[in-house]
Formats: sequence, structure tokens, C-alpha cells
Amino acid sequence: MHRSRLKPSLLARAAVAALALVALAGPASAEEPSVTAVLTSSEAAVGQAVQLQIQVKGDRNAAPPSEISVDGLEIHSTGQMQSFEMRNFNMTSSVTFNYTILPLRAGRFVIPPQSLRVGNNSLRTPELTLRVTDSPNQSSQSNPGGGAADPKKSTFAELIVPKTTAYVGEMIPVVVRVGFEIQTRVRNIPPELDLPGQGFTKQKMRASEGRQTIGGKTYQIFTYKTAIAAVRTGTIEIGPVAVPAVVLVPQSRNRSFPQNPLGLSDPTLDSFFNDPWLAGSVPREIKLTTERVNIEVKALPPHAPPTFGGAVGNFTMTADANPKSVQVGDPITVTARVSGRGNFDRVTAPVFEDEHGWHKYPPSADFKQDDDVGISGAKTFETVLSPNERKDKIPTQLFTYFDSLKEQYVTLRAEPIPVRVEGGNAPAAAAPATAATAPAAAAAPSTAPQQHDILHQLTDLPVAPQSFTPLFARQSFWLAQLFPLLALLGYVGWKMRRAHLDNREAQRREALQREATELQRSLRRDDTPPQEYFSRASRAVQLKTALARNVDPNTVDAEIVASVFHADEETRRRLRLLFEKSDEVRYSGSGQNGTRLVPLETRKEVLDLIESLRG
Amino acid sequence: MKQRTNLCWVSVAVIALGCATAYSARGDQNPAFAKANQDYSEGHFQEAVDGYQELVKSGQWSANLFYDLGNAWFRLGNFGEAILNYERALALDPHHPEAAANLALVRNEARALELRRDGIEHYIEAGTSTQYSIAASIAFWVVLFGAARLFFSRRRSAALVSLIIFSTIVFVASIFALYSLETGSKGRDLAIVTGKNIEARLATADNANSILALPPGSEVKVLSQRGDWLYAALPNDLRGWIRANGAQRVRM
Repeated sequence: MHRSRLKPSLLARAAVAALALVALAGPASAEEPSVTAVLTSSEAAVGQAVQLQIQVKGDRNAAPPSEISVDGLEIHSTGQMQSFEMRNFNMTSSVTFNYTILPLRAGRFVIPPQSLRVGNNSLRTPELTLRVTDSPNQSSQSNPGGGAADPKKSTFAELIVPKTTAYVGEMIPVVVRVGFEIQTRVRNIPPELDLPGQGFTKQKMRASEGRQTIGGKTYQIFTYKTAIAAVRTGTIEIGPVAVPAVVLVPQSRNRSFPQNPLGLSDPTLDSFFNDPWLAGSVPREIKLTTERVNIEVKALPPHAPPTFGGAVGNFTMTADANPKSVQVGDPITVTARVSGRGNFDRVTAPVFEDEHGWHKYPPSADFKQDDDVGISGAKTFETVLSPNERKDKIPTQLFTYFDSLKEQYVTLRAEPIPVRVEGGNAPAAAAPATAATAPAAAAAPSTAPQQHDILHQLTDLPVAPQSFTPLFARQSFWLAQLFPLLALLGYVGWKMRRAHLDNREAQRREALQREATELQRSLRRDDTPPQEYFSRASRAVQLKTALARNVDPNTVDAEIVASVFHADEETRRRLRLLFEKSDEVRYSGSGQNGTRLVPLETRKEVLDLIESLRG
Repeated sequence: MKQRTNLCWVSVAVIALGCATAYSARGDQNPAFAKANQDYSEGHFQEAVDGYQELVKSGQWSANLFYDLGNAWFRLGNFGEAILNYERALALDPHHPEAAANLALVRNEARALELRRDGIEHYIEAGTSTQYSIAASIAFWVVLFGAARLFFSRRRSAALVSLIIFSTIVFVASIFALYSLETGSKGRDLAIVTGKNIEARLATADNANSILALPPGSEVKVLSQRGDWLYAALPNDLRGWIRANGAQRVRM
């Protein structure tokens, strides 16, 4: 009874412990704090605002950077957003600091790395570059006014597209922001949005939530982000984006409380009890719609370099190789890291300038994005190269992209990486040729000319045709196993027969031992007649000798006994007398008429003699 | 004693006769093979290919025959068929130096893609299937004989127990090597792309999305077949469908 009461208690404790473990494991498994900084556009015109977002992941208590000041740019903080995300029971939190940058003059501006305090650590944002032009045609911000944030309204929806001109394949970040004044209670809003329009690639936009103060009013902001890439030239239309939402609207009351329930006449209490929220609220579906945005898409310039694979943006490249000292034929992993901002789906592995003497395997790619939409990040390619001959460097790697700011193709070159390839002095293809035709050439293979033609024909054919069937799958192989099998069976049979024979020998020895014991016992008794006594005594000696030397007891005589037991002369004499007496009694019949019993002294003498026989 | 000496002489004579027969048989050129070689040396590569292929059809397979056929295909500019036949020569004789050399050269020329091999496979390919089969067989019987001896002996010998353990390890390692060779990238499912403009696709349709363009001579590992399409493991560690007439298995 007590046990049954205890059980639920134990279960409850286990459950609490498990929950505690989960709670403890959660923060433990959280990712390391990291920081990214992204401009909504790296190009703008004078007077046109650009958004800067600094996002800290893994710690939402991060302190914002101190004032950012760049000569020629007016940078203002516009608030911060906190968000939580849970994927596969792994919760991540982040805080985003928003800034508006207003360019005051044309030029190229560098926003230096900013330090942020995260716990006891300090993180630094990457350096950002903003190009500002005079021409308003090179516009960077399209913030359609119709649905944009208006302090007079309690809700708004805006479609932010930072560029109005772009190249085919160029990635353009698109943001849809939906704001509700903080008093408006949002019951339901779609977690994902689809961006309407044609002529561009797109992805679903996921919502993130935050708060922002605009014009003195605090809004609950839902931000949907994506990036698009135009696939054709001409004008493409984006939007309008319709965002359905369900908000709770206060129920209207016909009249106010005639008297507050406390019965006190106080204007403050009256206004409290006449608050419309106290009357309850009803859900109402609303639809917020942004305006449409047009983008003019231009074709990429002709005469692209042959190494161009379709990447558009702004990239840098670094390369490394490991190991740097190998033998001919061993693999070397060459790592190329292309980082920057652009259409990473079209970023292909760098091309090796001269692959001669190398065997190249298809590269693998791994992309790690720095932002929410995959425009900014780094793509790492790992290519396995295997040298066919001695080499001292990995060939130069080339990566070409189209720079949409400079409006020209740019080819990045990773300088040759020094390596040491040893062994296999000549090219792999030439080795057999030198071995077969010119031993002298093999002695100085480093100077052997590189082979560019195949080797000669062979004119020999084997006697019997060869087979692709592996040896173990051939009938002959299994038939051949019969020989060791038969040998094994023969060995086992022979061993078993030996064991059987050994067993018979043991049985025989046991019988002899038993007989010897029986005889010795009878010799000690005084009821044995003399004609049998000496016969038994000699038999006992024979048995003892036979057991000692594993011989037939019937073939044992006095001399054999003496030699087996290394008897002295006196013992030898007594043995002879014993055997003679036994023969005499057995063959002549003497003793049958004599005394009935053997004298005690004689018995003792015979027993002593038998006892003295020791090997 | 005299009888035993006579028996030895008879044995030696029989062996010598066998060797002489074998040598003379090796020396005797197959006329069709000689004709194909003649065509090749005279620059009639298509005729040489036809001649070699007749021999292949008749089942007279040998590493040298496939090697020569590969050379003839190379002269005709068909890198896919050349690589296929060099691979076949190496499947029959993994230590065929000429085939290995020409294969490396042609593969480089054709920019053919190879299946990726892991580290263990590199080491295992140092031996051949035949060697591993023999090693496994010997180790197996040593283990059985050792166990039988151990069973019948009155006391356990440390040397015998060590031999049994060592042979067991050799047996297991050989079986693992055989399995890896058979199912690995150079195993029974290895096929070579011989067609031109072959692309691995996501589905069994010519208009399905392409996964990888496969130059002639590229290696693929056939996983299954559906109608005219092969489902294969590709050199970039992905899997895709390729036209069955675009690739040929190395093992016939």
C-alpha cells in the first residue's frame, strides 16, 4: 500500500528532474552569441534613406553600440526588436538594432566595425560600405507612401524595396512591414507571406515580431523578409502585398455605467469603468495592403569571361590547401571561401587556371549566411585534387562575378598555394613506359619527358580466357576447398581413433592395476595355499613391472624385473628364487603334500620384496 | 629407392611437358587477334575495333584484349569506350601497368569524373579480390585446423591460440576487404559513361532537372534500373537517373 503511494511521488520527481534537465540543457545547447550587420542596400542616392540592421543572435541582453558617426552620413537609431525562435526544441533569441542612414553627400562611405557588449564579451560587426550617388535615378529606397507608417493611423503596411534598377540575377532584399498600434490587440496574422509578382525568383517570407516607436507612437511590428532575383530584363512589378489579420475590436456599449460599482464619484474611476475594453471585444478580420513597386531590370553586359558562372554581387575570395606535403596520387583538399553579398545560389566553385598534372574531383559546397535572407554570407568549396606528378604549388584559382555597383565583371584570383608533392618522379602515365622500354630512363626519371600519348599495343593473349567473376564466386574455388575439408576430416578422424585407442590402453592398465591390488591383498592373508601363494607373488611382480613399463605381464621374468627396477644383487637373487619357486610349484606340483600354509616369515619376506620394487 | 628416383624423374618430365605446352600455346597467336593488331598498326582503327570486339563477343576475354581495344577506341577519339575498356582490363588484372597508365592519361584528356573513394577503400585497393579470397580461405582453414588441434590436445599451447586469433583476424579482415571491393566504387556495379552529352537527372525523363553533366568516361555506380533508365550514385556524392544506353557496366 505504501509502495503504491510512493510510486506517483517518484514519477513526479522524475518528471520534475527531467524538466529541470531540459530547462538546463536548453541554454547549454544555445548557440554562441554572434553579430551580423546588414545594409538594406549598399547603394543609395543623396537624401535617400538606407536601413542598417545590427543583429545579435544568442543573447538578447546585448547592449547597443554607442553612437555611430560617419562623416557625410546622418545615422539615427530607430529602435530595437527582440525575437525568439524555436526550431527542433532549440530556442534561439536575437535582438536587432535598427538605424536609418541618410546620406548627405555623394561618395563611398565606410561604416567602421561597431563594438557591442554581450555579457562579458565584446563582439564586433563587419565593416560595411555604402556608395552614394548624386543622381536620384540611382534610387535606393522605395517606400510607397500609401500604406507606410503614418503616426495618425493605428495600422500600416509597407513594402520596402531598396532598388528600382537591378541586373538579371542580382539579389534584391525585400521587406514587408506591418504595424499595429500597441493598443490594438492582434489575434492572428499569417506566419508566412507570398510575394506576388512575376519575373523573379522568390521565397516564402517568414514573420518576425518586434516593437518600434514611430512618431511618438509605439507599434507592434511584424516584419517579413525575403530576397528576390530577377530572371528577365524589363520592368517587373512587385506587389501589392495583402496581409490579412484578425484584430480584437472593443465591443461598443450603448451607455456608460450609470454609477461606478464602488459608489464613489470620481472622474478617474468613471473613465476606468467606462473603458470600452471592459465591455469585451470581438474579433474582426482586416486586410492591410502595400503598394506596388516596379523595378527596371537590365541584362548583364556581353563578353563575360569564360570563368563567369552567373554570380552577381560583391565578393572576396580566400583559398587554402591541406595537407601541403603529400606523395603523388595522395589527395589534397583545396578550400576556397567566397564571401560577400550577392546571389550565392549562382556562386560556383572557383576554376583552376591549369589543371594539367592534377586529377580533380567534383567540389563540395557549404553556404553559411550572415543574414535572414541569404544575401550576405560565405560559401566554402572543398575540392579534392590528386597530383599525377611532382608539383610545387596548387594552381591559381579564378572566380568571376559581375559587380553591380561597378557595372563590370571582376575576376578574383587566389594566388598559387605552395605544396610539396613527392614520389612518382615522372608523370604517373609515363612510369610503366619507362619501366618497360628504357631502364636507363627510369634511373633519371625527373628529366623524363611528360607523356602525352598512350602506350603501345600488347600482342600476347593468355592461354585461357579470363573471367570477371571474382575468385570467391567461382565454382572451382569452392571445389578446391574440398581438399582442406577432406584433410580436416581425416585429421579429426585420426585424432578420434587415437583417442579411442588411448582409451583402450587405459582400460587395460586399469584392469592390471586392479588385479595387482587384488593379488597383494591376497598375499597378505594367511589362508592362501603355498602352491598358489608363490604363483600369485610372481604374478604380482609381473603386474607391477608391466604397469611400470607398459609391457605384457606374461613376458616379464626375474631379469626384466631386476633391470626395470634397478634391483641390487640381493634383490635380484630373491627375485630369481621367487620365480623359480613359482615355476617349481606350478610345474612340479611340489608343495601340494607339504605344509598347508606358507610360514609367516616367508610371507613377510615376499611382501617386503614386492614392496621394495620401486621405479 | 630406385623406384622413388624414377617416380621423381617422371614427375619432372610431366611438369616440363606441361610448361612447354603452355608456352607453345601462349606463343601461338590467335589469328583474329593478330589481324586486329595488324589493322591497328596500319592505322585502320575502326577495323581493329571490329576485330577486337569479335574476340570479346566470342568470350576470349583477357586484360590485354581489353587494353588493346581501349587503345583503338582512343585512336578513334571515343574516350568513353576507351576508358571503359581500360577499366575492364584492370578489372581482369588489377596490376596491369599499361592499362593503368593509359587510363590515367585518357581520363585526364576526357576530364572524366571519378567516384569518390574513402580512405579505407584506398588501402583495400592495394590488394586484389583474388588475393583476399585466397587469404580468407587459408586463414579460415588454419582456424579450423587450429581449433581441431586445440580440441584434441591435452594442454593449450599459447602459440596455437595466438595463431588461431591471428588467423581469425586475417579471415575477418579479408572478408571485409572483399565486401568493400565488391560493393565499393570499383565493385560489381561500376559503370562508365560512354554516351555523349549525358546528364544525370532528378527523374526518369529527358526534361527533368539536371543534377550533373557527365563527360564520357565518368564513373557511376549503378544502384537500380527502371526501364531505360539507371539510378546511379554520381561522382559528386549525389544520386540521379541516367539513360541506360549512356553507360555500360565494367564487369561483363
